[in-house]
Amino acid sequence: MKITMKSFTSFIVALALLMTATAANWVDAARARATAAAEPYVKQGFLVRQEFWGGSLPAGQPTVVRQQLFKGNTYWFWLGSDEPKATVSIHVYDEDGKLCDAESWQKGAAAGVKVSPKRTGTYYFALSVESSPKKRTSWALAYGFK
Amino acid sequence: MKTAISLLLATTVASLALDPPAPVMPSQARFVDKVVVPVPSEIFAVLDKLGRPKWAGLINHELASAKPTGESTRIAFTLGTIIAEGFIAVEAEDADEVRNLGRSILTFSNALGVRKAVVRRANSIVEFADKKQWQRVRQELDGALTDVRDAMVELNSESLANLVSIGGWLRGTEALCSVVGADFERDGADLLRQPLIIDHFAAQLDSLRGRQRLAELVVQIRKGLADLKPIVAPADNGRITQTAVRQAGEISRSLVQAIQRK
Repeated sequence: MKITMKSFTSFIVALALLMTATAANWVDAARARATAAAEPYVKQGFLVRQEFWGGSLPAGQPTVVRQQLFKGNTYWFWLGSDEPKATVSIHVYDEDGKLCDAESWQKGAAAGVKVSPKRTGTYYFALSVESSPKKRTSWALAYGFK
Repeated sequence: MKTAISLLLATTVASLALDPPAPVMPSQARFVDKVVVPVPSEIFAVLDKLGRPKWAGLINHELASAKPTGESTRIAFTLGTIIAEGFIAVEAEDADEVRNLGRSILTFSNALGVRKAVVRRANSIVEFADKKQWQRVRQELDGALTDVRDAMVELNSESLANLVSIGGWLRGTEALCSVVGADFERDGADLLRQPLIIDHFAAQLDSLRGRQRLAELVVQIRKGLADLKPIVAPADNGRITQTAVRQAGEISRSLVQAIQRK
């Protein structure tokens, strides 16, 4: 079978599209878990943002998300993973690296942290996939405020 | 694990808060580039708790009657200022102005090719304003901002979508400075402390290409952001003073005026 440059390019494009679509599905599944974790808080008056962060991580490698928070509001951040058997965690730190979790929980593939900022500014959310049967585990982080 | 991350962050986070960002990165922790810009409601929620400032005098009536003229960068910045103006009109509980701004949002969205994405929101804005359901109007305005952005990203106009956010932020900052300056209160002034957002917007302007990047208005706003940063994010992490609020107000006002200038 002769492989032309055109058919090879088509194959590569199709492969790239497939990989992108699959990666998007993984993040969607992780986002669905984060959103499900947020549901009880909506009833408490938290407004959940449509925008979210997402990616994939190997177990044990922390990643940090930065976010502007305002003193006077209360925030909940919810982390979800696409892998039901994964264990994830999230904690929040201020600009001095001081732990600011007002409350936190961890339930397998989802975790949440509450923060009531002592001052307005940038806060740092350390996320981690603590264990997972996968090499890389997709995650999504959503937040709400009131 | 928590202690290890805390120690890592203690050394790196402090450096991230200042320029240049993250000179010392721990080998394990990676920083996510994406920054989610707070919706205006996050700031208004705090202002609600601080008391009810006099918003009526802050309405910029010219924005509701603005026409989409000039280059696309100016139209995008202006749309952002109009959406922000909607929040101010909501705070002032001025239903007529909210209606006018709702229509204006449609006109400018049309000029940017994203009218379809915001029709429902714009109608809801008008509907809830008529019913004086101000909290719902706020939510629809937050949603309009997000929908415009998403629609523009879909049209491969992410750079213009960012300008909408920047325009909205500048008008919001101008109004916030007026409110806080009129009745100075530390916690109110602290709302201006947004170095991450300023850096994010500056990076977005720096990433513009060709004519967009060189547009006079873009250059002016980029400089304005650089001027604002040290004022609202004192290097010693100190308090934001009344003088700083006044200076930030002057800068943001001049930039909003530049956006409105034809």
